[in-house]
Amino acid sequence: MLLTIAWRNIWRNRRRSMIVLISVIVGVAAMMFTDGLSVGMIHQMLDNRIGSHTSHIQIHAKGFNDNRVIGKNIEKTRIVEHAIEQTPDIRHWSRRVVTYGLLSSALSSSGGLIIGVEPEREPNITSIRESIVEGEYLSGAPHEVVIGRKLAEKLQVGIGGKVVGMASALSGDVGSDLFRVVGIYETVSSEFDKTHMFTTLDNAQSMLELDDRVLEYAIIVDDINRVEEAAAQLRRNLSADYEVLSYIDLLPLLVAQMEMYDEMMYIVYIIIGLAMIFGIVNTMLMSVFERIREFGVLMAIGMKNAYVFRMVMIEAFILGVIGTAVGLGLGALFILATGSVGIDLSMFAESLTAFGAGAIIYPKLTMTTVVNVVIIIPLTALVGALYPAVKATRLQPVTAIRYV
Amino acid sequence: MEVIRLEQIEKIYSDNGVPVHALRGIDLRISQGEFTVIAGPSGSGKTTLLNVMGALDTPTEGTVFLENEDISEKSRAEISAFRLEKLGFVFQAFNLIPVLTAMENIEFAMMLLGIEEKHRRDRAREIMSELGIEELAGKRPNEMSGGQQQRVAVARAIVNNPSIILADEPTANLDSDTGANLLDLMEKMNRDHNLTFIFSSHDRQVIDRAHRLIRLTDGRIESDEQVKQ
Repeated sequence: MLLTIAWRNIWRNRRRSMIVLISVIVGVAAMMFTDGLSVGMIHQMLDNRIGSHTSHIQIHAKGFNDNRVIGKNIEKTRIVEHAIEQTPDIRHWSRRVVTYGLLSSALSSSGGLIIGVEPEREPNITSIRESIVEGEYLSGAPHEVVIGRKLAEKLQVGIGGKVVGMASALSGDVGSDLFRVVGIYETVSSEFDKTHMFTTLDNAQSMLELDDRVLEYAIIVDDINRVEEAAAQLRRNLSADYEVLSYIDLLPLLVAQMEMYDEMMYIVYIIIGLAMIFGIVNTMLMSVFERIREFGVLMAIGMKNAYVFRMVMIEAFILGVIGTAVGLGLGALFILATGSVGIDLSMFAESLTAFGAGAIIYPKLTMTTVVNVVIIIPLTALVGALYPAVKATRLQPVTAIRYV
Repeated sequence: MEVIRLEQIEKIYSDNGVPVHALRGIDLRISQGEFTVIAGPSGSGKTTLLNVMGALDTPTEGTVFLENEDISEKSRAEISAFRLEKLGFVFQAFNLIPVLTAMENIEFAMMLLGIEEKHRRDRAREIMSELGIEELAGKRPNEMSGGQQQRVAVARAIVNNPSIILADEPTANLDSDTGANLLDLMEKMNRDHNLTFIFSSHDRQVIDRAHRLIRLTDGRIESDEQVKQ
């Protein structure tokens, strides 16, 4: 019966209830959309980093990640490959040579990462082949190089243009080679495009005098949620001479950024929640003041304070639940509608590509968002109703009955 | 059996800082089944006395015994429970809950006692039938006349079988015919169920119905007489 009374009381002043409901709905939908957009952007940044180079897991010789020198190479490749083959959940793997070097054209030069990859295996790991906007991906022929659009602009070369790559060879001498640009790629990260150049593994090994040695194994697992398990298994399968790093180890800044975004979202929740609390306090307080006489009568006939308190709280809770349900529906609908086509933020393209997120953001609905909203908003409504409810219980029936 | 005993009740209000002596040295005993009217001019302390008897207001001095229990020793929750079980209130302005129908208003008092829905419904129907207001069951207060609302208020007051009904100017907002009908009904309840009725009123027709008439002037009992048996 308290529910019935609460429900009918809400609709006694339709306009006021609708205003507070709309504010809750808009707040919830905005909260969901902001969260969805942030989650989508962060996931895109992560996916882009994983898909352009990082992969899920990398294996190096011990210490390579902290000190990327060519001396820290993997000589006994067979041991590593055997360990990989013994590890479940691994879908693809590829060998790489990765080193800092200089690429020069006749007109300009630029430093960056020279990466030797296996042309037939690497496309299973990264999306560089799909990112080719001019020319072709590496065919496996000698002296081929694929460079990013930004680097091509800097070096002022096009398809077929010649560039010289130079880097420290294993012997300590400067290793160099003449390459011909066969493809120009463009990813969502302008910074990546400026600094990463790809050639064949054989070419890189030959230029750096590595013979069959490699510097890196890049691995993709079946399920990103099982990366840590696969990495742990690889560590067990390999000796301490090797380091096995997951993308979480390899992208600490991005992971920290993701955590920071999560924390920021809680701040957004708090800000929206506070705004809603004031709305609810105001509405419920007005509702209590309008019904002082009624509360007086209820108390006079024997309604205990606990019931009075519960009655006000139930009304606020109903408002919170309706607002959450509708807001959640609207927010989810908006995220689902834009999730597949994305939201074009071209006007911020420069900063977004610098961050590696891409100009089109695909909002993502996560269970965490839904759970947060479902718990936080009705709770917020209850918190907002506390003061009015306590105020109602403080009424003295004898004065409340006479209240005009 | 004595249901109310007031001993040396004093009530002093503060009206914008000015003390107002509303009740002065009231000694009063009310027995089960009385039909008592407290009469007096405006400001004589009728409503204050009724509020003190109904444990809605606390005296500045003196002791209130309801069914031989000193209510000053009870907590707010215990007083609420006492009012719920032992007292029924009928107000001048009816004071039904506007969002509930007549039936639900009557049921509400039973819900507070924790009575289950089916029994509440049955009892509410029984009371409505006894008061002749069955046709009002589904109506909300704004769909009823003053007289109808006051009958529903009476039903709400008696539904939990209280021992005392306190009625503050119950006919003040009713025309004389409706008021007379309401008083007939209350007299019948008093007769049939030995319910104790205590009215505060300066309405002639209420005073004429009194079995016991207490006249107040300036917060003092001026006279207290048994006018009918």
